[in-house]
Amino acid sequence: MVTLAIAKQTLDDMLRRKVLLILLIVTVGMIAIGPSVSFLSPRESSSILRSLGLAMIMIGGLLITILSSIQVIPTEIERRTIYTVLSKPVQRYEFVLGKFLGGLFTVFVMIAAMGVVFLGVLWYQEKHLAAEMVKGVMLTFFQMMLLGAMAIFFSTFLTPVVNFFVTFAIFIVGNLSSVTESLTNNPNPATKIMANIIHFVLPNFGNFNIQNKLINPTVEISNENVFIMQNIVYALIYSAVLLILAILVFDKREV
Amino acid sequence: MSVATRRKLIMALAPLFLLTILIQHIMDPKIAEIHKGEHTVFSGLSNEFILGPMLGLSQAVAGLLWIRADEFFDSGDYDAILPLVRMVTWLDPHEIDVYITGAWHMSYNFTDSDQRGDRRYIPAAQKLLEEGYENNPTVYDIPFEIGWESSDKMKNYIRAEKWFRIATTLKSQDSSGHATKSAPIFVWHQLAHSLEHQGRIKEALAVWQQALAISNAKLKLNPKDFSTRNLRDTEEHNWEINLKRLYSRYTHEINFAIDRKMTKSFNPQTGQPYPDDAYIFTKGPDAGKPRPAATSNPWNCAFNCHPVFIQPKVLMPNGQFNVGNGARVTIELFDYDWHPEKLTHFTFDIDESQTIMWDQHSVINGKWGRKIDMSRDPTMYSFSRPYYWLVFYFDPRQTSPFIQDKFGWSGEGMTDKHYLWTVKSPIPGAPPDRILQKVYKISRAQVLGLEPITEKDVVPNAVFAKQEGEVFP
Repeated sequence: MVTLAIAKQTLDDMLRRKVLLILLIVTVGMIAIGPSVSFLSPRESSSILRSLGLAMIMIGGLLITILSSIQVIPTEIERRTIYTVLSKPVQRYEFVLGKFLGGLFTVFVMIAAMGVVFLGVLWYQEKHLAAEMVKGVMLTFFQMMLLGAMAIFFSTFLTPVVNFFVTFAIFIVGNLSSVTESLTNNPNPATKIMANIIHFVLPNFGNFNIQNKLINPTVEISNENVFIMQNIVYALIYSAVLLILAILVFDKREV
Repeated sequence: MSVATRRKLIMALAPLFLLTILIQHIMDPKIAEIHKGEHTVFSGLSNEFILGPMLGLSQAVAGLLWIRADEFFDSGDYDAILPLVRMVTWLDPHEIDVYITGAWHMSYNFTDSDQRGDRRYIPAAQKLLEEGYENNPTVYDIPFEIGWESSDKMKNYIRAEKWFRIATTLKSQDSSGHATKSAPIFVWHQLAHSLEHQGRIKEALAVWQQALAISNAKLKLNPKDFSTRNLRDTEEHNWEINLKRLYSRYTHEINFAIDRKMTKSFNPQTGQPYPDDAYIFTKGPDAGKPRPAATSNPWNCAFNCHPVFIQPKVLMPNGQFNVGNGARVTIELFDYDWHPEKLTHFTFDIDESQTIMWDQHSVINGKWGRKIDMSRDPTMYSFSRPYYWLVFYFDPRQTSPFIQDKFGWSGEGMTDKHYLWTVKSPIPGAPPDRILQKVYKISRAQVLGLEPITEKDVVPNAVFAKQEGEVFP
């Protein structure tokens, strides 16, 4: 209950932040102007509309997640409001989890809003409900959940600025999972070891990029639903690992 | 947090982390499957576009690049389009229209000052399409395009047939992009035409019948589908006219003007019109007898030409050909050592030292040939080799039906004292093609007008054929 109370307070706080709302408005605006590419052939227009829509949701989600997650704990420490919270019967792990869940709810609300606009634009343009796009939006949310957990973990011992760059850098490397995967078969032993470490130790954000399948329905993924479930389980477990680490670090930290 | 809880959490970390490695290991093959054919951000993207793919947004970047390419099409900046086609298809190998538009662009848009195509790009265009097919093997569009360009641009009807046949077995996409529908009926139409161009008329007739069956089945489901009704009428017409042409050219010549007015029906096995007014002599000593087959009395074509370079790199063919107006003679001039390449991988970089000129001139009143000025386009016609082939030919399979009505599909009704040449088909049972062909081997000095071209430069067709192979089987 305490965790949820902190999460709710965090959500309320986040939704009042102008920078996040501006990000949401800009992203939604970018999605809404997607149909302007209709000067291309219908198939190209559809493909570009879908790819740009999903890209906008991902970029918007990425910025919202990073900006919200890197600040939640340091801001509390900086403003000294954390003393008020921790002086009450609140465990530190509840505080960390509450902050994470608050950020997650924020990201959920934002991505859901962008997703609804995106589906609406597709419906307007293609005259049918592109329900399969929900899978892409959903996987973006889980990708952001993992990213948020990572940002929260780093926020327990890094300053927001350093955290921003570290999280963003790991997100980029993690997005190259198809590259690192192919490098795991490299004949050079040093490259192979490095690739294996990067591929299996860092979170693979590239796993969630199924835009290819959504934009080009002729691309087949065998057992697609199983694959999506595997991705969700991966995100949940990896987030749990990062949150445990965050709790362990934060528990020992002097505030 | 108590020490015990802390210890439990630390102990939980290891199995959870191992679990993520296991899941990743399970997912890896599927991730490779999703990204098959994609190239990485290290493929040579310019800086402004590199961040998108690094964030996993390859498709979005591909889309933006294609919008940029569209702007280049509008501004006529054709050279700039090729690198974009390469990048877009690397980033998103499922952009079918980009493969098709890119290949069409290479095959048709690069021309000299007189709109003669730069044929050095054709192998690259074909390779790009083949790469597109490898990455999109379930939809008909790309095989159809390969077939179309093989037929229209390369005049290689065997290759066209092969790809049209592949296209007929594939699906087309519905409005949501799923490949659920059969390939459109026009794929069958083009398959039939490619067989007609090979002189394999009975097979072409069978394909027209197949197309008719498909259209009739569609109409049964929806009799008010006027688009299919139109197509069905076209198929019926093409089937009928092919049957009648088969009869006219090889059994008894039909006067098609009379046929149009008098024929009530025809024999669906042979093409024989009924009543028989259209192929019976009505006057003269043979009145009442059926006319002989159109190709039974070979026509002396008197094909010849006396090419002259009237200025450096400006060719005047000076041709003659005893044939009806509208027949087209093909003129090729290319490096002596050039063979159309079969590329192993796509590249839009062409060998700029190559010279390949291809043109077609119409016969008017028994004469053909107009000035071919290659001096204005040194990048297309560099003439950097010491020797060249200069080839003039008439292929009845590439000509109009009204010319074929005299010569047959494969030139059976043609004769010529000097330049008749028979090209055997590699397809078992297919008729050979009888073409008219005169080949010169000329030097750079002759191209530059420093020495005249004489009949001593003429190379026997048999010698030329030995050096030229079929390139796109």
